[in-house]
Amino acid sequence: MNTEERQLADVLHRITPEPPRRVTVEQVAYRLVSEPRLGRGSRLGREPRPRRGGLGLSRAWAPAMAAAAVVVIAGASAGVAVLASSHHNSPSPPGGASASSSVSSAPVSSSPSGTQSPAQQTTPATAIVGGPWGAELIDRQAFTQGSLVSGDGSLFAYGTGTLDRIDPVTGTIAATAPYNAPLPNPPVIVGNTVWVVWSNSGGNVVLHGYNAQTLQQTASVLVPTIGRVSSAASNVLTAGPDGHLYVAAGVSVVTVDPATGQLTGRIDLTVGTASSVAVSPDGGTLYVGIGGFKLLVYNLAGNNVADESTLRDTTSLGNLVATSGGVWGTTGVGMSEWTWFAPDGDLSRAVRIGEGAGAGFASLPSYSGGVVWVGGSHTLSCASPADGRILDTATLPTDHQVVEYFSSPAVVGGHAYSFYQDNAAQLSGLARMTPPPACSGLSS
Amino acid sequence: MDTLTGVEHLAEPDGFRAFVEARSSALLRSGWLLTGDWPSAEDLVQTALAAAWPRWASLRRQDAPELYVRKIMVNTFLRWRRRRWNGEIATGRLPETQAYGDVFAQVDARQSLLAALDRLPARQRAVVVLRYFADQTESQTAEAMGCSVGAVKSHAAKALARLRHAPGLAEFMTGGVAS
Repeated sequence: MNTEERQLADVLHRITPEPPRRVTVEQVAYRLVSEPRLGRGSRLGREPRPRRGGLGLSRAWAPAMAAAAVVVIAGASAGVAVLASSHHNSPSPPGGASASSSVSSAPVSSSPSGTQSPAQQTTPATAIVGGPWGAELIDRQAFTQGSLVSGDGSLFAYGTGTLDRIDPVTGTIAATAPYNAPLPNPPVIVGNTVWVVWSNSGGNVVLHGYNAQTLQQTASVLVPTIGRVSSAASNVLTAGPDGHLYVAAGVSVVTVDPATGQLTGRIDLTVGTASSVAVSPDGGTLYVGIGGFKLLVYNLAGNNVADESTLRDTTSLGNLVATSGGVWGTTGVGMSEWTWFAPDGDLSRAVRIGEGAGAGFASLPSYSGGVVWVGGSHTLSCASPADGRILDTATLPTDHQVVEYFSSPAVVGGHAYSFYQDNAAQLSGLARMTPPPACSGLSS
Repeated sequence: MDTLTGVEHLAEPDGFRAFVEARSSALLRSGWLLTGDWPSAEDLVQTALAAAWPRWASLRRQDAPELYVRKIMVNTFLRWRRRRWNGEIATGRLPETQAYGDVFAQVDARQSLLAALDRLPARQRAVVVLRYFADQTESQTAEAMGCSVGAVKSHAAKALARLRHAPGLAEFMTGGVAS
């Protein structure tokens, strides 16, 4: 190499950042299962490129999809991961849980995962050793990370190609509908309707509405965008306190009346393409995430931009959560991801909340039951929605020095529910907890 | 039957996990230079590793797993680029308008680098990544790209000529921001 070539090599090595997460064998295994052509010697040229930001690619959601692969492989034999056998070259014991499981007992789940039938047998709840707030595993389905929400007395989440309603008492899937999320955006519950983003590409965003009890589709709304949708889209759909839907639509945000499906307004942005939206609980402020990552604070009453700030990290996700005191989100450094809170939506005053997550997990805050929850693989905390103060926190267990993961919970019926994953035991499912009084306002 | 086939197929090859753990960071960084974003980089690396999985024993015997993985990455990237040019046009990255302090200087440097790489034809970009980031020899680069050594030299020279005048990148060629 000559001098100029060496300089270029030096620049490439110095400037290229470390990846926010590593690729895991489990993700590769998932690709092989979901795209068997890759492993069977057919021409790679026929493989369509997956959607950017799609489920298999998303930074935040990829780990949970690896868990979903576990369920696909397990097939109809058990609801517990059998992929462990391919990792450790030994079969799982009867019941599916490997010897390193942190669950105190491992009863057999006779219900096949990922089926379309809501009829399932109840899995006995089992205590999670060292789990926070009396955590017990009530079901061993695999769900998409960051998709769990509560509403209308139920839990809702994305399964493997499905939108599911989960009975919080038994943990079983009470209703299901075919659904493949085009981007990270949890279901949005308005009244007795569950709204999801059906597609988000080119110049259109399509929303689907489902009856919250039966998950029968009841509505479809086409939202034309101004310009193309963001390539970093995440949480492009949210609801205000009056039930109106807010949709990131190119260089605009569109409001939709869910009762009629009519577009009721459009806010034009001048600073870029909206990648995520959130609305304050009082309905007065719209937060718009742009790129990775600028935050726009829009005064809905005055129809003006109140503030605009940029976070000092371009790897931030668009998972905005708005509370009375400001807005929350997730950013990442190296292998860890952690939650920030920006008072009044001012990113220059953003503070770190919680210990975050590593090992391919994401710490995505949730606002449920009157408090903000911050899960991850180190701690599980509840925090004040007004000022970001931690109200209570629990240290999460490890399994043979491998972190265990509790997602930020959703609250219903006086309990908090998290997705739980134990990589050492290749075990995942829904955990139920009873948080302390400090995490007050437990109602949904 | 599909699930059974999947299980048989997923017997993890010896040494595969160690390779993934040791090399995924470097492969992802190459993927980022090729594609310009982490989700696509992860997709690229996962695709290449999935293709290598069933051939792993043979690749290890030839002591060439990384060469093979990089070859798949580059060819998949080139295929994606052809698809992009013929069809959907990806939304561009949004420029940051402010830059203060070291952290933002890093951001500026990365954006300048990606902007410069975006201006290169796909094959020139692939040569830059393989030759100057992955430290592959000219013959290894030619093997990965399925072209001659002369073609690699030609692509490299043209890429250097373009990068030499890339706005915002020239100042980093003589020192500056660390990642």
